[in-house]
This record gives sequence, C-alpha cells and structure tokens, in this order.
Amino acid sequence: MKILIIEDQIDLLHSIQDALSQENFNCETADTKKKAEYKIYTFEYDILIVDINLPDGSGLEIVKQMKRLNSRVGIMIISARNAIDQKIEGLELGADDYITKPFDMAELIARVKSLIRRRLFNGEETVNFGNITINTSKREVYVDEQLVELTKSEYQILLFFFSNPNRVISKETLAEHIWGDHMDISDSYDFIYSHMKNLRKKIVSKNVDDPIKVIYGIGYKFETNR
Amino acid sequence: MKLLTKTNRLSFIWIIPVIIIGSIFCYYMIQYIVYEEADEYLKYEMNRIVAYHNEFEDLPDNHSVVAVIDDKKFDKPHFKDTLILETEDNEMVPYRELYFTIEHKGIHKTILLRHLLVGNDDIFEGTLWIILGLISLITIAFFLMTSYTSQKVWKPFYDTLHKIIHFKTNDPIPVFEKTTIDEFNSLNQTLENLLTKIQNDFQRTKEFNENASHELQTHLSVIRANAELLLHDVDFKNHVTIQKIHQTTLKLSKTQSSLLLLSKIGNQEFSNQDRVNFKESIESSLALFEELIDMREIHVSLSLKDCTTIMDSGLAEIMINNLVKNSVKHNIAKGFITISTNHDKICIENSGTYYTDTPDHLLERFKIGTEGNLGIGLSIVKQICDLYHFKISYRISENNIHQIEIIL
Repeated sequence: MKILIIEDQIDLLHSIQDALSQENFNCETADTKKKAEYKIYTFEYDILIVDINLPDGSGLEIVKQMKRLNSRVGIMIISARNAIDQKIEGLELGADDYITKPFDMAELIARVKSLIRRRLFNGEETVNFGNITINTSKREVYVDEQLVELTKSEYQILLFFFSNPNRVISKETLAEHIWGDHMDISDSYDFIYSHMKNLRKKIVSKNVDDPIKVIYGIGYKFETNR
Repeated sequence: MKLLTKTNRLSFIWIIPVIIIGSIFCYYMIQYIVYEEADEYLKYEMNRIVAYHNEFEDLPDNHSVVAVIDDKKFDKPHFKDTLILETEDNEMVPYRELYFTIEHKGIHKTILLRHLLVGNDDIFEGTLWIILGLISLITIAFFLMTSYTSQKVWKPFYDTLHKIIHFKTNDPIPVFEKTTIDEFNSLNQTLENLLTKIQNDFQRTKEFNENASHELQTHLSVIRANAELLLHDVDFKNHVTIQKIHQTTLKLSKTQSSLLLLSKIGNQEFSNQDRVNFKESIESSLALFEELIDMREIHVSLSLKDCTTIMDSGLAEIMINNLVKNSVKHNIAKGFITISTNHDKICIENSGTYYTDTPDHLLERFKIGTEGNLGIGLSIVKQICDLYHFKISYRISENNIHQIEIIL
C-alpha cells in the first residue's frame, strides 16, 4: 500500500510519515506542490494525503491532476481551515475524505484505513483480531462467531480500536472521533466511559477475554497478540 | 422624518408670520388707498367748485354738494369720517366728508362734499381673499419647487445614501454619482476613503484571523502528534503529564476554532441564501445526540411544524446543533426535552439544574459553566440570531425548567 503525504510543515510531515509507517504503509513525502506533482507523474500511489495550503499553490490542484491521472486513487485532504466551502470544493473535485488540523494520528490512521477499505476493497472486507471479527460492509460484529448487537457509537469505537491496535487511545481522541465538533470534549468523558463499559460488557458476555485495557488517567488500549 | 418633510415643515413655520404681517400690511394698504382716492376725488371736486365759483360767482348745480352751511368758516379744507344710515339696507355706511369755505358775496359759505368709502369689513374680506389666494399659490409653487429641487439637487445624496445602506463589507466599494455640488462631492469622497479604509482593515483582520488560525492549528498538530507519540512510548514515565498536554492542545484548538467561527459570523462571512426548514434540522440534530439522550434516559417530546426561513444552511445547522446539544448537556438524568416549532418560532425546553444568575448571561461569551467550560456554544447561537435579527430569549422557571425561545 503506497501513500504519498503532501504537507509543508516538516515536523507534521514526519509525524504523519512515522505514524503511517508503523502501520506498515509505504510512505513517501513531498513538502511543496512542485515536488508532489513530480512524484504523482513519476510514480503510482494508492492513497494521497494532501494539505490544501502549500507554499507554492493549492493542494486542490494536485487533487484535480491526480484524479485525471488515476481515478482509483484514494484522496484525503488536510486543512487547517474549517471552511465549509473548501471542504465541499475538495470533495467535489474527487477527494474522499477531509480532516481538519489539528488531528490525532490515531484518527488519521483510522480514516486512511477506512478509505482503503472503501476505495480498494469496495467496502467488502472483514477485519479480525483474535476472536472478534468486524464485517465493515454490513457493519456487523461477531465475537467468537456469535453476532453482537452494538450501538452506532460502540461500533465506531470498536472499529477505531481495530484501526489502531496496540496504540494508547486517549479519551479525547475517542470523543473527537465519535462526535467531532458536535461535542465539547470535557462533557463527553462520562459518555465515553459509559460506551466503553457497555462495549466491554458485550464482548466479555460471549466468554472472551477483554481485549481492551484501561490505561489509568489516560484512556484505553486495544491489545492484540501480534 | 424625511428630509423633504422636515424642510417643508420648517419653511411653513416661517411662512406663518409672513402671512400675518402680510395680511395686516395688505389691510392697511387697501384702507390707505381707499382714503387717498376718496380724498383725491373730493379735492378735485372742491377745486372744480372753487374754479366755477371764481368764474361765475355762483355755485354750480352739482349733485356732489351735500350741503351749504352759511355761518361756519374753515380756514382750510377739512376732512372728516362719518357714518350715515343707508335706509335701503338699514346699515351704517362710512363716508368721507370734505368741508371747505368759499367767500360768496361777502358771506362765508362752507360747502360739504361727501364720498362713499369702502367699509372696513369689505377691506377685511378683500384682504382675506387676496391672502388665501396667495397662500394657495405659494403652497402649490412651494411643493412643486421643493419636489423639483429635491429631485434635482438631492438626487446624488439619495443615490449615495442608497448605496451606503446596501453596502456590505464584502462588497466592492460603490461608485458614487459625480455631481456639480461641492458638498456632495466631498461627502462622497470622504465616504469612499472611509469605506476603503474599513474594507482594508476588514480584509487585514480577516487575513490575520485566518493566518493566525492556520499557523496555530498547524503547530498544535505537531504538539499533538508528538504528545501522542510519547503516550505510546512504554519507557516513558510521565504519561499523565503528556496526557494533560494532549488534552490542553485539543481544548485550545477547539476554543480557537469556536472563536474564529464567532468572528466569522460577526464579519458576515457566511452569506449563502438557503431555504432552511428548522423542523428537519432539529430532527437530524436529535439523531446525532440520540445515544446520549438514551443513555441519560431523557424523555424527548416533539411538536414540530414546518418552520422555514432563508439563511446560510451551515449556520442554521450550527445553531440547531448547539441548541440541542445544550439541552442534552445541561440536562439531568431522567429529565426531559420539549421542542416545538411553528412557522416563526422555535422553543426548546429542558429540565436542568439550579441557576441563580440572570439567564441572559448564559448567552454571553465566556460565561464559565459549572464544569469550567467556556460557554461559547450559546454565544454562537446568539451571534447567529443577531445576524439574522431573530429574537432570542432565555428563561428559567422556578422548578429549574430552562427555556430558549427564538422568534424569527
């Protein structure tokens, strides 16, 4: 899986590269529009992560060119501006997703993985860790081959953990993943806590070891034996 | 009051003394002329009689001679006013009399001539008609004149006014009509300078906001990415400290984007004209918070009728989401939310906690809530309401029922 990251802020570029490389993605980088254009015309990529504000032009132009070159590529836009117009324009040009700065790497990874599932596997994929299997097209969860009924948020949380196995996920990251801008983070802790309690109860009720570990004062970690 | 009305009114106040003084002057003028004429006539008559007498030594057979009085002598002709009863009308009629003496065969004979005068009541009546006629003429002429002048002279002013009223900071600076009137030209010039200045300042502030926001969010991303990295580092010991850094950057970026949103609303940067039905917005917003509502066992009752308006659909969504979120967030377990809409009103009621301060303070920016969070959500709602001139009110009844009402 080859990913091109286009971002002018070098520190952030490295952080994204490190985070995605850890997930065994093959990452290449470009910090200007010119370099990015050279790369997209020279090599093939499966996923493009593009910052809109580049020192020598707009990332939206790269999106346009990329779509002309290869329409199967998955494109994710990064922007520091919460401008709705830009988001709509980006999505209209053919981008698949839009993420606003600042974001957590766990969120970015989850989005990239979701994008890969949608773009490259046409949504037909089951992911499994241990005894737990998620069918992402049917949005169904099986624990020890038994169907578990999860609420929308519980499903989202579990899928998020699946995208970020063995990573410490803070409460804030989870809250932002589920509610985005709709909820003030400080108010959502008790909701996160309830969701987590219910989710873990549902998994354990199928006589399976609880894969979710509580990291005191910080958040949670989904542990797999990989 | 309109400029023209005010001008007319002020001018008419000045016309009143003119009319009064004019009428008095007119009355006395007519009276003076009447006397003058009568006296003149009587004097001619007297001269004719004297001339006739000098020539023929006799008095003419003149019907204007009213009486010849024998034993009375005036050294010079004497005028006198008198009233004589006109039997036909049974009315006292004013006359002018002239007494003069001529020497006839050694005897002084005083001759009395008399001439009908115009009565004061007739003069008064005449004056009245003259003045009335004049007033009507003046009024008509005045109105024609002012409306013509206002159309001609004030046209550039109204043109400027119209352009200024409809000016929005995002619009290009209007081109004002060139006129031959110096005052208007300098007004237009000044306005043009001011508008350019305002627009430049506006543009600079807007750019600063966006640049500051862009830089801040980018660097916050780096802080967060590194904090996250440390969270995953098993050898690292101060996870809780890093967690706090991570949490604070998140809060900071949320607050910053809320503040940016507030200033963007204030700057009227959202100018889409979409048809919005709040009934639908409320339904989709409730779906968003459905799980939270279930979790807290909050009972929701709805009475939604179509409630449409023209506004930016993004802002409408933000407004409704903030309202619904507020009613869920500040609710109590097993509480209730009642939402009703009709064609021009949105009313959200929810059970809540005790609040001592004035409810209106809850709509203000940076009102610190009990959990120490910035009460920015409702101030965004208020800002949106202000932008579209919706009337928003916040009430808390005695049994801690919070009610927000928005009248479109």
